[in-house]
Amino acid sequence: MPGHRTKGFCASAAALVLCAMLAGCGGSGESVGGGKVVLRYTWWGNPDRAERTEQAVALFEKQHPNIQVQTSFSAYEAYKQKLATQAAGGDAPDVMQLDYRQIDQYASGGVLLDLAEQKAVLRTDEIEAGLLATGRLDDAQYAIPQGRGTETVAYDVKAWKASGVPLPGRSWTWSEWADAMRALAEKTGKPGATDPGWSEDCFEVWLRGQGKSLYTEDGGLGFTADDLTRWWTFTDALRREGVVSPAEQTTQLDGSVENTPLGRGEALSDSNWDAPASGFLALIPSGVALAPMPSGEDGTPGQYFKPSMFLGVGAGTGHPKEAAQLVDFLINDEQAAKILGATRGIPVNESIREETEPQLKDFDKTIADYQSSLEGSLKNPPQAPPSGDNALQATFQRDYDQVSYERMSPREAAENYVTEAKAELRS
Amino acid sequence: MTTTDIPAPAARKPAATAAPKRRLKRESQGPAWVFLSPWVLGAIVLTLLPMAVSLYLSFTDYDLFSPPRWVGLRNYVQMFTEDPRYWRSVLTTLTYVVIAVPLQLALALVVALALKPMRRGKGFYRSAFYAPSLLGASMSIALVWRAVFNDGGTVDNLLGTGGWVNKPGWALLAVALLTVWQFGAPMVIFLAGLQQIPGELYEAAAVDGAGKWRQFLSVTVPMLSPVLFFNLVLQTIQAFQVFTPAFAIGAGKGGPADSTLVYTLYLYDRGFVASHMGYASAMAWVLLIVIGGVTAVLFRTSRSWVFYASEGDR
Repeated sequence: MPGHRTKGFCASAAALVLCAMLAGCGGSGESVGGGKVVLRYTWWGNPDRAERTEQAVALFEKQHPNIQVQTSFSAYEAYKQKLATQAAGGDAPDVMQLDYRQIDQYASGGVLLDLAEQKAVLRTDEIEAGLLATGRLDDAQYAIPQGRGTETVAYDVKAWKASGVPLPGRSWTWSEWADAMRALAEKTGKPGATDPGWSEDCFEVWLRGQGKSLYTEDGGLGFTADDLTRWWTFTDALRREGVVSPAEQTTQLDGSVENTPLGRGEALSDSNWDAPASGFLALIPSGVALAPMPSGEDGTPGQYFKPSMFLGVGAGTGHPKEAAQLVDFLINDEQAAKILGATRGIPVNESIREETEPQLKDFDKTIADYQSSLEGSLKNPPQAPPSGDNALQATFQRDYDQVSYERMSPREAAENYVTEAKAELRS
Repeated sequence: MTTTDIPAPAARKPAATAAPKRRLKRESQGPAWVFLSPWVLGAIVLTLLPMAVSLYLSFTDYDLFSPPRWVGLRNYVQMFTEDPRYWRSVLTTLTYVVIAVPLQLALALVVALALKPMRRGKGFYRSAFYAPSLLGASMSIALVWRAVFNDGGTVDNLLGTGGWVNKPGWALLAVALLTVWQFGAPMVIFLAGLQQIPGELYEAAAVDGAGKWRQFLSVTVPMLSPVLFFNLVLQTIQAFQVFTPAFAIGAGKGGPADSTLVYTLYLYDRGFVASHMGYASAMAWVLLIVIGGVTAVLFRTSRSWVFYASEGDR
């Protein structure tokens, strides 16, 4: 069989070529792009933020012809999980957007570069010292805050006005808020708000309104099962009355504005962070306005200015200088600030903030005005949450699901949560 | 496994030409290994090695960021004695397996029986029933399914039952129905099995006065039992590992109120959401052992109900 050997040989050769190709795919992609330095920049957000980020990145590439930036983004939950996996595999992106909740874990896990070493290209002197310190851990500047945000009650102005219930003023307490929601539900037949019992963030605002906090300074739990029982009893009663969204709606919340009862046209207001609230405009074209979060009964404010998100540089990046340049550009460049607007919160660079604020348009201006109305009246932000908090956010939602589906009493669910939280924070 | 009479004639041939075969075998070994190498390497690097690492991790506390810390059997002890949600996920998975597997196999068999005698449009119907199995594993179909069973979705509009996916008592059924709907693969295997049954058996049964139902019970079921067994084992193993539909329908969280929190979803939650990779690895090994055990039990019971045609010869 003379043909047999030839055939076998060809096949072997083909297989070898295939192996070589597969091996080639595994190689480092850093050198592609015609000798340019290639940076990977990842972040979470919505399409509105994506469009503006792409524009800003294009401008950066124009200013730095030797650098090419590959961006990618996804929704918050998916981003968090993907980034954790990448970081664990030693494949963290060069520049990454980080949440307050991630700083502790990522910095202590050795994923992030100390940005103080890149002082030459990354200026931080125009960022308020207190805000900048939120990205520090053990005397290293692991992340730079990128924007300032605070919580808000976003509401459908037109529907609210039509109901005849007085619009929210500059301040209200939780019981005044509950009364307003009750009046709205009565007049419109729709729940006034998303059930806030599901949200750990809302609980924190409520807790701080009573002078307490989520976590103690040494990273333990800052409240008791009694506190949580009272909060869930309060929200659960409103849910039973039909004043806030029913369990079937609440359980669909996933951090995107599209899946909130307000975004779906099933309620008149929603508690959210102010930057993502811009997403409501696409869903409620007749107009969205922002009111402050309710305060404690004695007027103690619970909400606070929080670094809305951070930028960090991967410890394993091959181009620390270029990565720092990109961070500097996103935070300190005037033109970039103009393009980005308030999509990641109000800019942290103070001179840029002062300069751009009058130029802000549309919803960016609404957010800026809202923040300046709170200036000076809020208390200091809590320190960055301990590592275990990352999982507890989800646990909180799950346990409240058991309450809103009436499978557990607020007391049972609260005790469940506290037990799990203590275990999580210990490990 | 399905038939035993086919290999027999094939086995006779090489005996006559044994000498040239041996020579040929040595000659072709080189290319064979070259061809196999990607898969052999893949099996070692992508399967065996990760399994070994996962076994090691199951005895550690590992949060993805700091190095794994040896904790011995603590993960296993915690799983069995201190974690009510673990047992919830076990119960949810068992419920799911018990609902989904029998329903899926019954539907596959019924459709296969209906398609077997069909002459016109055979290809069309087979493709149409098989299509969901091709599409069904994808996330997009699971998301469509979620929309269909959501409140305001198709099922709500037709039956007025509200959204199934938002009711703790109904959501798992929606997940199971997505699996049942993907009955194409077992159906095709059933069809192949049905076509192997000799027509004489039915003729003989008919002559003896057996009706359609009697023929089904006395001819089809015993003759088909090896195929039925094969499908049962395969689908059960798959059902224990259900993930995508539960992930999509439970909005990634096993919701509402943990009602769709199947085992793999809780494993994913512990590993990737809560960053307890050691615990998740321990869960994975328990799953492997349980699936192995269930399969062994199925094989043991098969002795009493699976009938191989060749047994009559011995």
